[in-house]
Amino acid sequence: MQQSNTYIIVFSVILTTVLALLLSGVSQVLGPKQKEAQDLDTKKQILGAVMPMADIKKMEPAAILDLYSKVITAEVADYQGNLITTNEKGGPMVAEEVNIEKNYKKSPEERQYPVFKYHQAGQQNNVEAYIVPVYGAGLWDAIWGFLALETDLNGIKGITFSHKGETPGLGARITEGPVQARFAGKTFVDGNGNIVELQMVKGENTPESKLGPHKIDGLSGATLTANGVNDMLNNYYGYYQNYFDKHVRTGAMANN
Amino acid sequence: MSTETLEAPIVKEREPLLSKRRKKFVTDPLSDDNPITIQVLGICSALAVTTQMKPTFVMAISVIFVMVFSNLTISLMRNLVPTRVRIIVQLAIVATLVTLVNEVLKAYAFDMYKELSVFIGLIITNCIVMGRLEAFALGNKPYDSVLDGLGSGLGYSWIILAVAFFREIWGSGKVFGYPVFEKLGMEGVALNGLMVSPVGAFIVLGVIIWVQRTKTGYVEH
Amino acid sequence: MDLLNLGIKSIFIENMVFAYFLGMCSFLAVSKKVSTAFGLGLAVIFVLTITVPMNWLLNEYVLNEGALTWLGPQFAEIDLTFLRFIMFIAIIAAMVQLVEMIVEKVSPSLYGSLGIFLPLIAVNCAILGSSLFMAQRDYTIAESTVFGFGSGFGFFLAIIALAAIREKLRYSNVPDGLKGLGITMFITGLMGIAFMSFMGISI
Repeated sequence: MQQSNTYIIVFSVILTTVLALLLSGVSQVLGPKQKEAQDLDTKKQILGAVMPMADIKKMEPAAILDLYSKVITAEVADYQGNLITTNEKGGPMVAEEVNIEKNYKKSPEERQYPVFKYHQAGQQNNVEAYIVPVYGAGLWDAIWGFLALETDLNGIKGITFSHKGETPGLGARITEGPVQARFAGKTFVDGNGNIVELQMVKGENTPESKLGPHKIDGLSGATLTANGVNDMLNNYYGYYQNYFDKHVRTGAMANN
Repeated sequence: MSTETLEAPIVKEREPLLSKRRKKFVTDPLSDDNPITIQVLGICSALAVTTQMKPTFVMAISVIFVMVFSNLTISLMRNLVPTRVRIIVQLAIVATLVTLVNEVLKAYAFDMYKELSVFIGLIITNCIVMGRLEAFALGNKPYDSVLDGLGSGLGYSWIILAVAFFREIWGSGKVFGYPVFEKLGMEGVALNGLMVSPVGAFIVLGVIIWVQRTKTGYVEH
Repeated sequence: MDLLNLGIKSIFIENMVFAYFLGMCSFLAVSKKVSTAFGLGLAVIFVLTITVPMNWLLNEYVLNEGALTWLGPQFAEIDLTFLRFIMFIAIIAAMVQLVEMIVEKVSPSLYGSLGIFLPLIAVNCAILGSSLFMAQRDYTIAESTVFGFGSGFGFFLAIIALAAIREKLRYSNVPDGLKGLGITMFITGLMGIAFMSFMGISI
């Protein structure tokens, strides 16, 4: 009786329906919570570029979201530096929802470039840092992060990195606080106003005096990951120049 | 797979909740009939997450959850499942349970969700789960099946936790992310980078299998 | 060039077996003889090259958020990603069934030697794993096909190499506790070191 085709079909249909209902129920219930978790994760990383990650990790989620809403104002620009205000679906553009990974697959001219402006609570016009997302390829897989630039748009205020599959203990060290701290204070521009490529050097424990303002102490055993980091930072610094020219440099002049 | 299917339990009177026979369901897979070291099952998705203890622990919990509930569900349905489509039915049940785990992790433990990425999904194809469903749950009562799932899940868990322990302490000098050597004042203990690479996992597991098989006297021919 | 790069990467550098431990069950169980390993390897290549692009289509046009937009703009908000696991495994199981029937018809001798291992492919982590990696990494259709084939070929190479070593190993004097699985683990580890030397190569 069990082996008849009708039985098998009826059984399969019932089973499929039950499982599908169960799963869609769960996804309905958990969906909002998942969005929140994802949102919180992005915001944590953005804040991480301007304050120590250890401090952020100690905070309650609600406190992080609250702080974020007070000190960050975000906007999205295209390659030419023009602001984008509506998304593909016609709704308002939300900078935190721009998928950097999906954008990375397009050519630079077609990407969307979110900018997160950091300021003290309530002082939106007095921006203290410009935070931009960066994305690139490490040794094994994708690496990405957020780069916080000083208001002169040349110096690095802070940086955070994440990675998908770098070697633990070697390339994966880019996620460590002390390694990220090495970038702070370095600059993309020399005394004459020319752009100089940043370079995380080969080998570790190079004395600061030898490094100067454009070189960063490297990671021993992870030169290829460091090369990926260099390319990523220099590329994205270039992509944002149009935005900076249109909205920051001219704006600053007008204000003065 | 083992021979449990043959011993169809013919129990007339109510046996105690944890009779000797039932205890064996839980304790056997821990050592004598361990799914990894003896039966060679479920190595696939396990080793990739064992560079650190924390994700391994989450993985172990997830696998135990999936094993217990899939065993329970299949055992409850064992007289209804048409034999011709039983594999796909099992896959569907397991896939549903794994999706549940995945969704819950995504909502409540986002960091872990990111770290484990596709490997939670790969519990579906963990041969232990399918193996126990085929070999045990299809022919046994629900309660026994739950115990069997628990036993196999635990047997799997302690092996991957052991592998993770050695890999984390030798590879990064930490246990559950806690820098042991540093805190003990033993700065500069040499760490082996090989341990965090896939190669380390194979070697550590090989040694564990060696030790375990020597202890139980199991020889493969 | 990117495609070639991806192919090389998925075959050698990110070998399913040595870098991600995927497909270990059949890798260990079917690697005692080169001839059977050869058959299984071919079957894995075949199944992977078909299932990864098929799952890509499924992912792109049904499962992803906004994927159903081609049905009409009112479907743009639907997000079926929670069905990903179950749909992927369903496609894979169906494809394996198909391959099994074809092999049975075309080559009964191969069917005889592969025997119970073909159904094992359905629960081979390398197959599902590749599809999940494909979805997670947002590959295009061309990339998916190359990636599927590359992963399969990587597995094929790995299992044949291991089977060849194990055939020779039968004449070695291995300690009792290490016989079989134990020594195979060490060998796999050593092979992994060899494959690690491909690291960092890109074309």
